[in-house]
Amino acid sequence: MSDDTQTGTTADDRDPEATRQLVRERYAGIASSDQGCCSDVGLDVAGDSGCCDDDSQSESERLGYDADDIASVADGADLGLGCGNPKAFAAMTPGETVLDLGSGAGFDCFLAAQEVGADGHVIGVDMTLEMISKARENVAKNDSRNVEFRLGEITHLPVADETVDVVISNCVVNLEPEKQRVFDDAYRVLKPGGHVAISDVVQTAPFPDDVAMDPGSLTGCVAGASTIGKLEKMLDRAGFEAVEIAPKDESTEFISDWEADRDLGEYLVSATIEARKSTLDD
Amino acid sequence: MKESLMDILCDPLDKSELELEVDERDGDEILEGRLIGTVTGEVYPIEDGIPNLLPPDMRD
Repeated sequence: MSDDTQTGTTADDRDPEATRQLVRERYAGIASSDQGCCSDVGLDVAGDSGCCDDDSQSESERLGYDADDIASVADGADLGLGCGNPKAFAAMTPGETVLDLGSGAGFDCFLAAQEVGADGHVIGVDMTLEMISKARENVAKNDSRNVEFRLGEITHLPVADETVDVVISNCVVNLEPEKQRVFDDAYRVLKPGGHVAISDVVQTAPFPDDVAMDPGSLTGCVAGASTIGKLEKMLDRAGFEAVEIAPKDESTEFISDWEADRDLGEYLVSATIEARKSTLDD
Repeated sequence: MKESLMDILCDPLDKSELELEVDERDGDEILEGRLIGTVTGEVYPIEDGIPNLLPPDMRD
């Protein structure tokens, strides 16, 4: 449990700026130390190979990456902080522009870069300088000239209107207290006919108080998760059509391992979140 | 950041265009400089090749 002074406040009640600050501090620490999974306790970590040390490959495979994905990106980008594999359902094609919300050390961006090729672009936005710096180091290691990283906030995207074909994200939106603004801004930057392909945790049962009020649980991709119903409403309100949120039942297996002293799989499941912007201009 | 991707960038505050001022570059890659909101006048630094486009109240 965290000893943060804001313990006693649930995720919904906490000031959004204070929440973002907690999130930034946590992920700055992870970027600097190369440690930590997207959970409060996580698995044992060490070294530069990413989240789960010598077990990171199989851990990434549990999230939905295949061995080729993992082998195709130089070490250091896969911190094991995701909860799915957006590439697997994002249907990215050569020449497209892809935006990754909360790009971290860049792993999903480098996979996307392979999909869109030299004529495409991938832009990663993250609010943590330490993550962006790490991602930039990884650009050199991967020789990915079509990938760019920007320090920015996903509720205030520094991306022009209707310039993006696909918005991807991996286990990040749950961390943002103002999710409606994320979806509104994603809608704005998408070209007509563009789509979102997001992997994220969704809430399946009410959190017990000790989870709901624990800032560590919030920044560890647990307490900030919304229900499928709420997410559908938000995407709908943003203007999206063909909204489809599909829970991945097999994910409860790795989510159950996130904490040693409780089974988070009782409250959370990883889901694929898909939605499309109409081809007709408003 | 690449100068060729300027078109995709915008001011995070009001989504208006940004103007680029370059102090140091390496070909298309801008290493040091700043982006200035053409409407807001807000200055977003580019340091070590990374444009800092966080809203001003989010910067450390």
